[in-house]
Amino acid sequence: MSDQTQAIRPAVIIGGNRIPFARSNGAYSKASNQDMLTAALDGLIARFGLQGQRLGAVAAGAVLKHSKDFNLVRECVLGTSLSAQTPAYDVQMACATGMEAIGSLANKIKLGQIDSGIGGGVDTTSDAPIAVSEGLRAVLMDLSRARTTGAKLKAVSRFRPRDLAPNAPGTGEPRTGLSMGDHQAITTKAWNISRAAQDELALASHKNLAAAYERNFFDDLITPFAGVSKDTNMRADSTLEKLASLKPAFGKNLGAEATMTAGNSTPLTDGASAVLLGSEDYAREHDLPMLANFVDFEAAAVDFVHGAEGLLMAPTYAVARILERNNLSLQDFDFYEIHEAFAGTVLATLAAWEDAEFCKNKLGLQAPLGAIDRSRLNVNGSSLAAGHPFAATGGRIVASLAKMLHEKGSGRGLVSVCAAGGQGVVAILEAR
Amino acid sequence: MADKYLELVNSGFTKKLAKSLGAPRPAILRRYAPGAPLLPGPLLLLGNSSAAQDLADTLLGWGLDVRRHASGESRLGGIILLLDELADPAELSEPMLAAGAALRRLAPGGRVVCLSRPALETDAPAVAAVRQGIDGTVRSMGREMRGGATANGIVLAEGIPATAPSALAALHFLLSGRSAYVDGQFIAVDSADGTLPEDFDRPLAGKVAVVTGAARGIGAAIAQTLHRDGATVVVVDVPAAGDALARVANRVSGTALQLDVTRPDAGEKIIEHAVSRHGALDIVIHNAGITRDKLLANMDAARWDSVIAVNISSQLAMNEAFLAAQLPGLRIVSLASTSGIAGNRGQTNYAASKGGVIGMVRASAAAFAANGGGINAVAPGFIETDMTAKIPLATRAVARMLMPSLMQGGLPLDVAEAIGLLASDAAAGINGRTLRVCGQSLVGA
Amino acid sequence: MSARERVVLDAVPSLGALYAKAAGSRLRALLPGGKAAGGTLPEVEHHLEALVADPARLVAYQRLMGDTVRDTLPSVFVHGMVFPVAMSVMVREDFPLPLLGMVHLANQVDHLRPISSTATLSATARAADLRGHRAGTQLDVLVEVAEGGEPVWRGVSTYLARGVWPGSRPGAPAEARAPFTIPGRTASWKLAADTGRAYAAVLGDYNPIHLSAASARALGMKRAIAHGMYLAGRALAGSTPHDTGYKWGIEFATPVFLPSTVDVAFTDRGDHTVFSGWGARSGKPHFSGSITTMAQAPGSGRQSRRP
Repeated sequence: MSDQTQAIRPAVIIGGNRIPFARSNGAYSKASNQDMLTAALDGLIARFGLQGQRLGAVAAGAVLKHSKDFNLVRECVLGTSLSAQTPAYDVQMACATGMEAIGSLANKIKLGQIDSGIGGGVDTTSDAPIAVSEGLRAVLMDLSRARTTGAKLKAVSRFRPRDLAPNAPGTGEPRTGLSMGDHQAITTKAWNISRAAQDELALASHKNLAAAYERNFFDDLITPFAGVSKDTNMRADSTLEKLASLKPAFGKNLGAEATMTAGNSTPLTDGASAVLLGSEDYAREHDLPMLANFVDFEAAAVDFVHGAEGLLMAPTYAVARILERNNLSLQDFDFYEIHEAFAGTVLATLAAWEDAEFCKNKLGLQAPLGAIDRSRLNVNGSSLAAGHPFAATGGRIVASLAKMLHEKGSGRGLVSVCAAGGQGVVAILEAR
Repeated sequence: MADKYLELVNSGFTKKLAKSLGAPRPAILRRYAPGAPLLPGPLLLLGNSSAAQDLADTLLGWGLDVRRHASGESRLGGIILLLDELADPAELSEPMLAAGAALRRLAPGGRVVCLSRPALETDAPAVAAVRQGIDGTVRSMGREMRGGATANGIVLAEGIPATAPSALAALHFLLSGRSAYVDGQFIAVDSADGTLPEDFDRPLAGKVAVVTGAARGIGAAIAQTLHRDGATVVVVDVPAAGDALARVANRVSGTALQLDVTRPDAGEKIIEHAVSRHGALDIVIHNAGITRDKLLANMDAARWDSVIAVNISSQLAMNEAFLAAQLPGLRIVSLASTSGIAGNRGQTNYAASKGGVIGMVRASAAAFAANGGGINAVAPGFIETDMTAKIPLATRAVARMLMPSLMQGGLPLDVAEAIGLLASDAAAGINGRTLRVCGQSLVGA
Repeated sequence: MSARERVVLDAVPSLGALYAKAAGSRLRALLPGGKAAGGTLPEVEHHLEALVADPARLVAYQRLMGDTVRDTLPSVFVHGMVFPVAMSVMVREDFPLPLLGMVHLANQVDHLRPISSTATLSATARAADLRGHRAGTQLDVLVEVAEGGEPVWRGVSTYLARGVWPGSRPGAPAEARAPFTIPGRTASWKLAADTGRAYAAVLGDYNPIHLSAASARALGMKRAIAHGMYLAGRALAGSTPHDTGYKWGIEFATPVFLPSTVDVAFTDRGDHTVFSGWGARSGKPHFSGSITTMAQAPGSGRQSRRP
């Protein structure tokens, strides 16, 4: 930690709550972003007795959002038992939304601007916004601007039946037209990540998540929603054989070399999460636990459009920078939480950190960051098993990691979350 | 369903129709509302024991219009029979006949409370006879009363005055709307311990209470009632019920603890949460319970064992943890059931667990008293909940209408009110006992 | 350029009229003694003054390419603006090759500096370097765009008249094409059947081979093909600097039949970016090219994309 950051007060993670994550078009298909985030907040409020409190801020967001939800988080806050005087704002940084929301709140706490806050996120691909086609939109906009009957008729005359086809939001990158999975397939191949290694990581994720449920790890991290009490994507009985039998789902253009399947890729998921942060004084005054310090966070972005870097490799850069700023090595951590957008993402990230050439040429380092102790990686499962409701993943990871660190009683954890648009946010947490 | 029926038989044409058809006409019970008068009319205090004057003074202090003679025709809100000094059955005649003459003047929702002494093996036979006779006569009074009026008793251990804190707390409870569904019951006061609340509307002010099984039904009502009475409430339920639990927690401005009470460390978890988050643990309500009904002939191990594990074994284990922690003044109230007293077809497992609760509180009383606390049970009869909603309609209707003197099922609130009494510091003189909240159900004693 | 005759156009020629004229000349070319016999390019340049971008078309173009709407002119849009001037050269009576059916082989453009969308431009076009090709005759059309006399845009478009030889049947033997290895894709474009019509609607290039399967078949194509400049525009969108000049070039290998999916690879080579596109299904190369940022003007402060 630099002198500068030491001088300011710590931001403490008090606890978290999420609803179980559910596969898209499943248990939560009728739930809206507002329903789910409100439920996550309700559970958090209940866990920590925040009823009637005016918090410093609630920051959260959704990656896929209806335009009517322009003030989503504030609307959610108004639906909870928090004081109606609690300000709220929406954040959006693709899959790193939750991390950015939490990190920005931590900064405000560190600076003394606020004493407490809730950060998180929500996403649904089941109740996703459907937009009218560009053609229909243009007609409607012109129609609303038209003042005379003639102008209105003229606007309407431009309507074509094909304009009725709606536009569903895609998860493809606008500038490349490639899906995130197809992008990762490029990176997975570039780093020679084998199918077997990806399947093994996926299996470990399911086993670790199931074991965490088994030991009641999530009892104070999850509140059921809509009749669901466990992540519906979790397959505790999965096997390498089952995973090996799946057909490639991404990078199909690679033919026989395609390695990414529905089993080692995260499915579309619905869910919400929230994390309570505060200053030490806030926690003490309210008799609330202090699980971990939110030490620092760093965002990075890469140019994937022009082939300079893989879409989901930004966290490798962010980690190099945050380690340097905090004078730490990659091996100085007791837990690594690397978001499993795809098994290939995690494995390519690890490979890159071990690669001398990459670390020298891309990260500008004298020596590679090196290997990590794999037994410290995603020890309670990650997105491959739990699922990945884009904006909700950051909150899931931060709350779980803070609890792990507190249980251990010492040490540090590293969070790495990749995001669409070639972005990534990483963070360091410290036990207390 | 119950509410609809209650409404129909108590209003207008349908009331007349129900009367002429002889259909049961359950009364709308008088229930507690903060600030409401303690009784719906003057109180008649019968009996000439030496405690009479002190008691009358206390009752006047509660704002009651206390009468010592059964003259006049005006409505009465309640009758107290002070029978603690009777030594022979022949002495029952005067107060009982006086009470009888006054019964027809009793307002709907009126109360009869009898104060007496327990019949002991060491008593002279005539003394024991009159004391035991009071038990029978009060229960019978309860059977003949109508209009939601009830008859209950307080049994004062030898040497305990009628004005002992727990006796007064029990009396206040029995006179008030809080005891709406308690009928034909006796509350035993064994010591003069306890402190009456400064405010009878907030008897639990400043207390930290944990309620297990609080996500719904009786548990949720308990949480709400304890909150209303001033306690900070920690609500506990299994993780799978966490969403309903969170709603309850947020309604009562408490905290939710998702915890399976059958976990070996459940007691420690509860203590840890209550003490670290709220600074103390003063009250635990063992409400978590399940039913897995089946005739014994068809019973399987899963049904039997899970009911025992949740309903009684978990409580035994948690109590050990609570005792080990030596929490000062910890008061525990455990949920028994009339099934555990009288038995119920298809509930051999449930009745074993609930009978077990009654035995457990009796045997644990001394240990909790050693830390200045106590442990009691409440045995609900037929209570309208999600759980009883699973009972077939016809059976439910019969259970609700015909069996209890009050001719209706109780509400979760009624159970919660009794728990509130036993959880309060004023109830320190009541220990190891089981209070039935059953509307004087026909089943059992 | 001094020896050439300069024809000053007094207005932007209508592409429709030019195509009609071209169709006529193609018909004539089919007749014995038609154009194919000619062997030299006219020593002439066509010049047009007072050319200003239509703001609505500019926005439509930027939307079509998925580019950001901004107030500088995209390079391919400039090409579209001055294309009628270039075409007016190619439909001259004395132009030796039939315009219709000519194949666009390559473009090389020096976009010398950012050009304001409100700039008043002049354009000068001429044809040059008529030469043999194994499949016919190729030539370059050179266009220079200037603002207030200062050149701001120079483009060389290379066309092939297939099966037409200006003189004798060629000597140039068919070169063996280097085998195409599919690079790792970084993007994938799904081109709808109406891609040609959409481009034509914005930039006015209603060449029938781009419009529909039927109109393309009339000119010997099996299906409509994407405008080469549409592909160039897509490649350039989001990849060109906005505050300095740049060079870019594109070569076309095989036509992109519509509809189809074109896989694309961008490779950042430090001082320049190369790109190529190929059929996602067929694996056949469609185009390749590069973009090079010009040395930036001192003090402009622009950060290059990569250090």
